[in-house]
Amino acid sequence: MDFSFPPEVERFRTELRGWLTANLTDDTIHAARRGTADPHAFETVRVWNRALADAGWATVAWPPQYGGRGATALEQLVYAEETIRARAPLPVNVIGLNNIAPAIMQYGTESQKHALLPRMARADDIWCQGMSEPEAGSDLASLRTRAVRDGDSFVVTGQKTWTSLGHHADWCQLYVRTDPDAPKHRGISCLVVRMDLPGIEARPLVALNGDADFAEVFFDEVRVPADALLGPLNGGWQVATTTLSHERAGAARLYAEQRLRLEELVTDLAKTEVDGRHALDDPVTLRRLGELAVRVDYLELLCKRSISASLAGADGFASASLAKTVWGELGQDIAALGFDLLGADGADGRWAQFRLTSRALTIAGGTTQVNKNITAGRVLGLPRR
Amino acid sequence: MNLEPTEEQLSLRATVRRFLQEKASVADHVRPLLDDPTGMTDAGWLALAELGTTGLLVPADHGGAGMTMVEAGVVLDELGAGLHPGPWLSSAVAATRALTRVPTAGETGKLLAGIADGSTIATVGPLEPAAPRPAATATADGDAVTLRGEIAQIADAAAADVLLVLASDDDGTGLYAVDTSSPYVAVTPRRSIDQTRKVFRVTLHDAPARRLGPAPAEAIQALVDDVLVASAADALGAARALLDLTVAHAKVRRQFGQPVGAFQAVAHLCVDMYETVELARGGVLHALWAADAATPAQRHRAALRAKAFAGRLATVGDTAIQVFGGLGYTWEHDSHLYLKRLLSWSALLGGPDSYLREVGSQLVHELNPQGADHEHQ
Ligand SMILES: Cc1cc2nc3c(=O)[nH]c(=O)nc-3n(C[C@H](O)[C@H](O)[C@H](O)COP(=O)(O)OP(=O)(O)OC[C@H]3O[C@@H](n4cnc5c(N)ncnc54)[C@H](O)[C@@H]3O)c2cc1C
Repeated sequence: MDFSFPPEVERFRTELRGWLTANLTDDTIHAARRGTADPHAFETVRVWNRALADAGWATVAWPPQYGGRGATALEQLVYAEETIRARAPLPVNVIGLNNIAPAIMQYGTESQKHALLPRMARADDIWCQGMSEPEAGSDLASLRTRAVRDGDSFVVTGQKTWTSLGHHADWCQLYVRTDPDAPKHRGISCLVVRMDLPGIEARPLVALNGDADFAEVFFDEVRVPADALLGPLNGGWQVATTTLSHERAGAARLYAEQRLRLEELVTDLAKTEVDGRHALDDPVTLRRLGELAVRVDYLELLCKRSISASLAGADGFASASLAKTVWGELGQDIAALGFDLLGADGADGRWAQFRLTSRALTIAGGTTQVNKNITAGRVLGLPRR
Repeated sequence: MNLEPTEEQLSLRATVRRFLQEKASVADHVRPLLDDPTGMTDAGWLALAELGTTGLLVPADHGGAGMTMVEAGVVLDELGAGLHPGPWLSSAVAATRALTRVPTAGETGKLLAGIADGSTIATVGPLEPAAPRPAATATADGDAVTLRGEIAQIADAAAADVLLVLASDDDGTGLYAVDTSSPYVAVTPRRSIDQTRKVFRVTLHDAPARRLGPAPAEAIQALVDDVLVASAADALGAARALLDLTVAHAKVRRQFGQPVGAFQAVAHLCVDMYETVELARGGVLHALWAADAATPAQRHRAALRAKAFAGRLATVGDTAIQVFGGLGYTWEHDSHLYLKRLLSWSALLGGPDSYLREVGSQLVHELNPQGADHEHQ
């Protein structure tokens, strides 16, 4: 049992920290706060992503031939901790890098990897992920967007929705039904599709906070070249699930993010008076902060145990579901405390924003209820109805 | 970073588990001892000593195994899972750590050897972290030392042969040994919510004592942290065992023509319990590791968090009873014994609120020392 990191990992931390200190400007940090719905912020973050990629710091886990540095799992964990601690913006392509790139890495042809991955890392291409449909959310396997083989093309017709960055994207990792007669999990394929093909229309979809972060994407007899297929024909479900189970050091993002959020809350509260007294003098507030601090630390330990177990060969998928459940509820509780204490106006309305956008933490990427079903079935072995 | 158990730790766990299943089950050992002030049988104690567990933390040159709190945590996890009522935590952890944390001399080696071979059972107190000065006072008269005062709360005093008492003396605080056989020592049982945990008030009427050494504040803090972490490991064992019992029940208890565990409302209660257990497990493993391997500040931070989480951990007991339904509300069923073990951990040395506030103050101080100073202006 050893919770400490070996010296070479600490050296990696020092090197990265030095690079971030030298290169990360306040302007870039500020852009991260404004979010990608603001065009100037979007471009600033894109420029930052290029700087990272050119210095080899965008995708540390990737093999060097695609622009990475083959970082170990512990180095990846340190990478998440340090970039978040420095308040570097999330990459524009966060979904691409976390969810799509691993699938391309595992199932892509050599030419797909070379053509797609380095441009994704530099944010030269923006990526979106087309899974959810109006009638297929949690029950993703019931998706209906269909692709019919015609000569050397697939002809795609259907609709995706809640597609993050759909209206900005150059590429889409698209899940389609290629065999309508097969059982629902066995008739799905994964395609990588250029978003400028004729017949694709992405309409911005305004979220609850007024920003258009995601889109509805319509496909009307879109001719997609047959070599867009990623992974086996009708093997799309396998592509989707192996991607998820390859989630390893990604778990580190979960705790590092909530730790930073909690620290920001304390910083904002330090400047605040409530009912004529210093907000941090209130024992009830200290108790609530303490409760959240323990949960942040314990989420960190949960994530580290999950990483350690998967390094020892265990199934990382089950523990990742649990960590995500804990993360979502914790993020919502931190936001709720911030809004309770600082109100609609406090800290430039930041906590009111978090209060609203934190609702997505238990929905996007699989809802908390669905995660609990996974834990109940796969970990506890409880029967399904 | 490697958080996986070693082969040695796995076999230690298997050994203790087998002993408890075969020789100290809840039905045949724990329940008959619920009203017994010692919570132990001689045969049961000797068996634990023969397995080498009582000397786990005793240094090798005093006849022990010289292991760390991580290994003690393995044993505690199993003892908690088995609701074991004996003085193991008091003697093999609290007293042993007192004797090794405090720079002692004199009969320390003999005491440690006795703890290791099981011939001596010891306990230590008082451990209330808030007490500004120990409740007992030592008076020296030539070579003879006596202790006077009342220790409001001390575990396993009826089972113990020796009390290790933190008492104030001319040099501050010292660690003293007192034999419980002395007529000047009065041991009175205290009400506890948990009949598997034996707690006492001890009154010392000028009881003869031996001074073992000075007890500086840092050593006392380290000892209190050790006891908190050990108790957390025990409670974790109780919680995860109860989770297993509950999930097993949800798979076989049928209502409306199906196992109740197939109802999502029940399944999600089980997942909530599992989530709490897994969060606690990370915290306990880390705190056990930190007890010997980290800086004093990290060790204290980890122990504080384990204790601050105790209230949340106790919800595992509440939820289990809900899943067991009417059965869970009966005396005959074991779930109340587990709930009580978790509640006694939650109440030990103060309820969760003050610890949560302390974690909050610590967070504020770490981030914003000026703001925290303002608090005390
Ligand atoms: C901010 C944001 C970004 C997103 N980005 C993307 C993206 O980029 N690409 C993409 O494809 N999708 C994206 N999504 C969609 C997201 O994946 C879905 O919203 C999610 O999977 C849930 O599906 P749904 O909204 O249809 O809810 P539904 O499946 O209709 O669920 C409704 C309610 O029923 C519950 N429920 C459903 N099934 C069960 C069950 N079996 N047991 C118990 N309860 C159940 C759910 O928990 C929920 O509370 C995004 C969503 C959000 C909010």
